[in-house]
This record gives sequence, structure tokens and C-alpha cells, in this order.
Amino acid sequence: MMAWYKRAGVSVALLGVCIVLELTFHLIVPDTAYRNLIQLALVNVVVALSLNVINGMAGQFSIGHAGFIGVGAYTAAIIASNIHKSLGERAETFQNSFLVMPPAIIAAALVAGAFGFLVGLPSLRLKGDYLAIVTLGFAEIFRLVIMTSPPGVETGGIRATIGQLGGPQGYSGPDRYGVAQYAGPFWLFGGVIVATIIAWRLKFCGWGRALRALREDEIAAAAVGVDPTRYKVTSFVIAAMGAGVAGAMWACMRDGNPSVQPDQFNFALSFDAITMVILGGSGSVSGAIMGGLFVTITVKMIEQLQRLDVIEAWKVQHPDFDLNALRMVVYAVVLIILMIMRPAGVFGENEVTRFRKREPAQAKA
Amino acid sequence: MSGGALKLEHVSKRFGGLKAVSNVTFEVPASSIFGLIGPNGAGKTTVFNLVTGVYDFEGKISFFDKSLSGKKASHIAKMGIARTFQNIRLFQSMTVIENVLVACENTRRAHLGASLMRSPLFFQDEANMRKEALRLLSIFKLDAMADEVSTSLSYGNQRRLEIARAMMLKPKLLLLDEPAAGMNYGEAEGLKDQIRWLRDEFKITVILVEHNMQVVMGVCEDIHVLDHGETIAHGPPSTIRKDPKVLAAYLGEEAEEDEPVELPA
Repeated sequence: MMAWYKRAGVSVALLGVCIVLELTFHLIVPDTAYRNLIQLALVNVVVALSLNVINGMAGQFSIGHAGFIGVGAYTAAIIASNIHKSLGERAETFQNSFLVMPPAIIAAALVAGAFGFLVGLPSLRLKGDYLAIVTLGFAEIFRLVIMTSPPGVETGGIRATIGQLGGPQGYSGPDRYGVAQYAGPFWLFGGVIVATIIAWRLKFCGWGRALRALREDEIAAAAVGVDPTRYKVTSFVIAAMGAGVAGAMWACMRDGNPSVQPDQFNFALSFDAITMVILGGSGSVSGAIMGGLFVTITVKMIEQLQRLDVIEAWKVQHPDFDLNALRMVVYAVVLIILMIMRPAGVFGENEVTRFRKREPAQAKA
Repeated sequence: MSGGALKLEHVSKRFGGLKAVSNVTFEVPASSIFGLIGPNGAGKTTVFNLVTGVYDFEGKISFFDKSLSGKKASHIAKMGIARTFQNIRLFQSMTVIENVLVACENTRRAHLGASLMRSPLFFQDEANMRKEALRLLSIFKLDAMADEVSTSLSYGNQRRLEIARAMMLKPKLLLLDEPAAGMNYGEAEGLKDQIRWLRDEFKITVILVEHNMQVVMGVCEDIHVLDHGETIAHGPPSTIRKDPKVLAAYLGEEAEEDEPVELPA
């Protein structure tokens, strides 16, 4: 156990790092495109860490993570933009972000967590493919409900309320000036650090142990007192809350997309999230981080490649050629190679450190 | 002998058209070693599954006068009924000590919030649980392999680990499903002593489902015999050994006509 002053020291140091990054990130990485890429990678790390709770630790299979991210993104966008408006739409400064981001992030986590609870309930009776369909259904319903409720079509009722989310054009603030973008490097790096610590602690505590036991053998776990209902639903809620935070980070990301659109939260995003988890190793915190970074960078690299002259010329010659589809091919190839080389993902269920071995040794002494 | 630890009254279980357990009634005296035997498919393991809440059932099962009807498996475990399985069911990818630690979930005082904050309570809890787990593992001579993955253990060790995990629940009643499966004569003899020792050391009641008559006859104080889900005999080993219905069920019909046969002592 770390002494309290050590813990406080580490916390202050991490906080300091985040503040320094906030102030210097645009100097370290002057190119907006690359800065955006890194910020997106940070968001994706949180996405992967949260999905890892369901798909890795709990051994359930959710393919609707985009839905939770979307719920978080919309919630945060609405809260942040409205607070921004009530602040008199002053510049999106670092100081003001402390008034905007905490409520936005907390609200996003809570609302996404509530949806996680609802989607988690069927997980008690459904397993494998069937549960996957339920989660996919949730994500698609969420997206389509917003897509098919354009603003201003109706004046009263639920549809009009949903219509205020902007329909297919997306939500861009109460006055349509764009979503307030307060999530600078401080919040993004901070989010990743907090998410990593939480994911790590979840895995290496009694709760995580019980969840893994449940994944290994539900009947045996119940026979030693692990209540499958409670653990499964809690894992869904925690994962959804994490996704909500990721959504909040994404929606409010500085220099990011000024509007939150329903189509951003399509199946491809869920698929990316699954790839991140599987690639790194289901159940591994380090693996989820690695997967999040790798997938983001691959996606962006392919996008960057598309701008090359050779490719541009080739695209003119072959108008049917869809380079975005190439991304899937790259995934497939990477995943096939991985399946052959490391069937359980890069890290398997292990971590980069041998931290896990140290704890029992301490207890023995 | 004190009152009943476990009482089954007219308990039945149907799987579709098959009556796996039909109208079974028996009482297990507290602190006894009780045998539940019968030929394959007699419904012994099903009885265990009914008692531990894997399936629901008709009739009444009570544990120290508390009804088990409609209780969830995890709740029944919390009440103090632990079990092992006929086919070993360990948490395979987890280490030996982790397997045992999972059984602490009910006694863990540090809830999720405290665990996430890594509060002093969490470390205290974790250290206590590990101490207790290691103590149990050393009783079952598994402490040397505490950090090994459970599947790397030998068959006999895996069986013992399952019992250690069950004992971590601090149960009042332990259900052992074929603990002697795959053991040779010497090992089975050892098992008899271990079961008696378990009962005396932890002051528990033990119910044993077992095919090995050497173990059953040697260790059980009371035996209940099932065949095709129905009770065919009940009594101490000395009478069960000679019971014509039991002999018929085990050895086939012709046994009744032959010279008196006895199941091995």
C-alpha cells in the first residue's frame, strides 16, 4: 500500500503533467491535424478501456458501444453548450473549462450509465450472439431515432424534443454556433489517466476477480456466492459510463468537429471499439490502451494516404474504388495475422508490468 | 445427534418428460457425514443442483429450518451451503489463490467504491483474505502453487482446490460430488480420513455423492439411496449394504436370487 503522501505526490504530479500539456500541447504538436489525431487517439483509448470491461473482463459481447458513446456525446454537447451560453459565450478558456467540463462529463457518464443499466438487464438472460444483437439494436435505435427526427417538423411531443437534437444534421449548440469545445489536452489526457487508473483498479480487486470468475464459469461462481445479476449489470453500467465520458471528451474536443452527428455513432465505431479490445487482448488494460492508439492511428494513416497524389490520380481513374473500405481490409489482415501469431491478442489478459505478482508477495510477508 | 441441517420434503424435479427426482424426502442430521448414492442417472447430482439453487424444484427444501425455495444460487452460498462439482469446475484462467479468493465475495467488506479508491479498508481486506486463503491452501497442501494457473494443477490437486474454494465460504454444509472419482485405493482411503477431518475441524455437515463404495461405506453415517429419481432405501451403511433393493439396483435383478451378496465394506 502506498503511503498517503506518496499517493498525494503522484496525484499532484499527474495533475501537473496535465496542466503543462494543456499549456504546451499546441507548441509540442503545432500541426492541428496531428494534434487532432492524438486527441482522437486519447478518446479512443477511453472507448477501448470502457468496452474492455464488458467484452474483456466480463466476457460478454457488446457490439453496440457506439450507442453509449453517442449518448455521452449528445449529453455533454448539450450541457457544455448551454453552460457556455449562460457564461455569456466568453472565449473557451482553460479557466472556464472547469465550469463546463465537470458537469458535462458527469452528466454524460450518468445518462450513459442509465442506458447501460437498461441494456445490461437483458444480459442476464442472453449470452453471446443474442446479447450482441440486443446491444447492436440499442445502438442502432439510438442513432435512427435521432436521424429520423429532424428539427422543426413537429411542434409538440417527444419527436419535437428529439428534433431539438438536430436530426441528421447533428447537434451544434442551442444557437447552432457549434458545440462548445472546452475539452483541451488537460481534460483529454486527464480523462485517459483517470480511466486507466479506474480500469486497472477494477481489474485488480475483488470485484474484477469475481467478474472474471463469472466469465470462466457462471454456475461455479454463483456456487461460491457471486451474484451473476449484480456483477453483470454493474459491469454494463461501468462500461457505459466510461463510454459516456469518452463521448463527452469527443463532443467537446478542442478543434474537433463542432457538431455531434448521429452518423458518427454507427456500427463502424462499435466495430472499431471491438477491434481495439481484441487487438490488444481481451481483459488487458494495457492491451486496450495499445489497441485504442493503434486503431486510431491506422484509420488516420489511411485517411492521410488518400491525400497522396498517386492515390488521388488512381481514384480519378477508378471512381468505384473506396479507400475507406480499405480500412476494413487492413483490419482484417491485421486481425488474421494476430490470430495466427497471438490468438489471445497482443497482451492476452496480461499487463505490461508484473504488478500483479507483487501483491500476493506483499501479503505473504 | 442434533437437529437436521438439511431437510428435503417431497422434492421433485422434472426435465420435460423426464422425472429426474421424484418425491424425495430425507433429513441430514447436523454434523453428520451423509451419503447419497445410486446408480448412474439416479438423480444424485440433480439433488445437489436443487439444493444449491441451480434449478428450481417442487416440494420443500430447508436448511437449518430456513426454506431454500426460490433462492438464488449465490444467496444459498451465502447462507452457508458450499459444493464441489462432478466435473471439476474451476475458474480456469485464474491462479490457484484467485480461485479461492473469489469465494470471499460475500465477506469482502471493501465495496466497489472503496476498491476503486484503494482505501485502507481495501488493503486490509485484501491482506486478510489472502492470509485466510493461504491458510486454507496450506491445509490442502496447495500453498506452494498458489500463483500457478489452476489448469496447470494435477487432477487430484484440482479436486482439492475445489474443496478449498468451497471451504473459503465458511460453509455449514458441504456437498461433495464424487470426490473419489479417478482415485486409486490408497487415495480413496486417504480421502475418507480427509472427509472426517474436514467435518471435525470445520464443524460442518457433509453430504457425499459417490460411486466408490469403499469410501461411502467407510465414512458415511447415514446413506440415502436413489434409483431413477426415487428413494429406494435409507439407513446406516450396515443395513444399506444388505438391502435387497439396493443390491438389485447396483448389481441387476438376478442378484436377489443368488446367495446373499454384500457391497464391499
